[in-house]
Amino acid sequence: MRSAPHAVIVVTLAVAFGASACSRAEEPKAPPATAESPATAPPDERVVGPLSPDDAKALATMNDRLKEYLDLHVRLERTLPALPKEATPEQIDRNQRALGKLVQEARRNAKLGDIFTPEARPVIVRLLATIFGGPEGAQLKASIMDENPIDVKLAVNGRYPDAVPISTIPPQVLQTLPQLTEDLEYRFIGDRLILLDTHAHIIVDYIEDALPK
Amino acid sequence: MRSRHRFAGLLLLLTVLTGVGCRDVGLAAGAQAQQAAAEQVVALPNRDGSLKFGVLGDFGTGAKAQYELAEQMVKVHDRFKYDFVILVGDNLYGSDRPQDFKNKFEIPYKGLLDRGVKFYASLGNHDAREQRYYKLFNMDGKLYYTFNPSPDVRFFALESTYPVPEQIKWIEDELKSSSSNWKIPYFHHPLYSSGDRHGSDIRLREVLEPLFVKYNVSVVFTGHDHFYERVKPQQGITYFVTGSGGQLRKGNIDRGSGITAKGFDTDQAFLVAEIAGDEMYFNAVSRSGAIIDSGMITRRK
Repeated sequence: MRSAPHAVIVVTLAVAFGASACSRAEEPKAPPATAESPATAPPDERVVGPLSPDDAKALATMNDRLKEYLDLHVRLERTLPALPKEATPEQIDRNQRALGKLVQEARRNAKLGDIFTPEARPVIVRLLATIFGGPEGAQLKASIMDENPIDVKLAVNGRYPDAVPISTIPPQVLQTLPQLTEDLEYRFIGDRLILLDTHAHIIVDYIEDALPK
Repeated sequence: MRSRHRFAGLLLLLTVLTGVGCRDVGLAAGAQAQQAAAEQVVALPNRDGSLKFGVLGDFGTGAKAQYELAEQMVKVHDRFKYDFVILVGDNLYGSDRPQDFKNKFEIPYKGLLDRGVKFYASLGNHDAREQRYYKLFNMDGKLYYTFNPSPDVRFFALESTYPVPEQIKWIEDELKSSSSNWKIPYFHHPLYSSGDRHGSDIRLREVLEPLFVKYNVSVVFTGHDHFYERVKPQQGITYFVTGSGGQLRKGNIDRGSGITAKGFDTDQAFLVAEIAGDEMYFNAVSRSGAIIDSGMITRRK
């Protein structure tokens, strides 16, 4: 692991789920580095940077919060009948809404910043700024803003609006943001970065003004 | 003037006489005559034992045009028995409650479903992720997956709205390990498109195109832009945009893009194709039944 300031670090949050590095009893640890920069990394490799030790610590804390959320998600999902791989629309709808309701009840006091903590937020925004500040930034942003409505009211722990298309996220952006498990995804609504629970169709948290103007 | 009519008549006659089996797939007489005047249709061989399939995208509106195109798909199937349809995304627009699955998919395509035609979906930006569990989309609960309907042909359904590094690694591994002669990826966002509204997804192209070139992909099917377009071969690969299965953005093809081999943006359309050996024949069919594009592609080796 690189501990020097501004080291380039690969953040493997999903890998870290359940790993000892995520234990709340321990000091959050930054994950190891594997590539020098996003520009030189192959497209199947995750890279973020540059990160200072404080940045890495902030993301590791966010990782802790994600793990807590995921544990809750899994625990609640287990109380519901398993969705078969070949389901009817009724089964899909029932399962999704039931899980959404359970999540909303369990997190009834959820608020902005629970996952994207005040310390992690500027790090994420800065990571995005490094991507969008590059020569291809305008094109990347255009990809995300394609069919992406701006004036949509959002609520943490609220249902993702049914009529709003999910934003496209270019591979270069996903390569740079901390990794999530399959249950969670990053999306954008306008210039807000959403953390979406795809099974429950719930907005877990979001960051305002995540994209550079 | 008279000689031009004679020429059109001759082409029409040639089309009917030289085509075998599927020579007049869903073609209305008037439309056929008009089309014959412009170009000769490449007939689908309709051979026994060949692989026959359809391609449809951006269809799930529940509106009249989607239903009418679906009727046309049944008419084509009466003459050309394709086994399955690959879906290039935007399968359900708006809400996706149970009644939406019925009104936007099960009812319009009942004729095909009743005939045993299977659908293999990929997801677009208007599709909820849980569609992967819908049994009639045959995704086996996966956002990206592969299937091989015949030993020589393998399809790769990708999820292009969220191309995480793990998916990129997966598609490379799958393409690399596949011994099929035909490797056919399909997904929602076009790597090449002349759409004024969306156009080519350059960022996705940077990542996927080198893999397609490296592993001998010959044909790629996409949607997202609401028209039909066949793109001139790019590094030996033919890209199709088939995004007018229900939606339509009239006049949206930028004719100055320089990449269009054939474009059609005045009515809904779908595509049927037949793979026989090293050749893939295709006909794109409009809502009125006109064959608006046809041709044959020889696979890369």
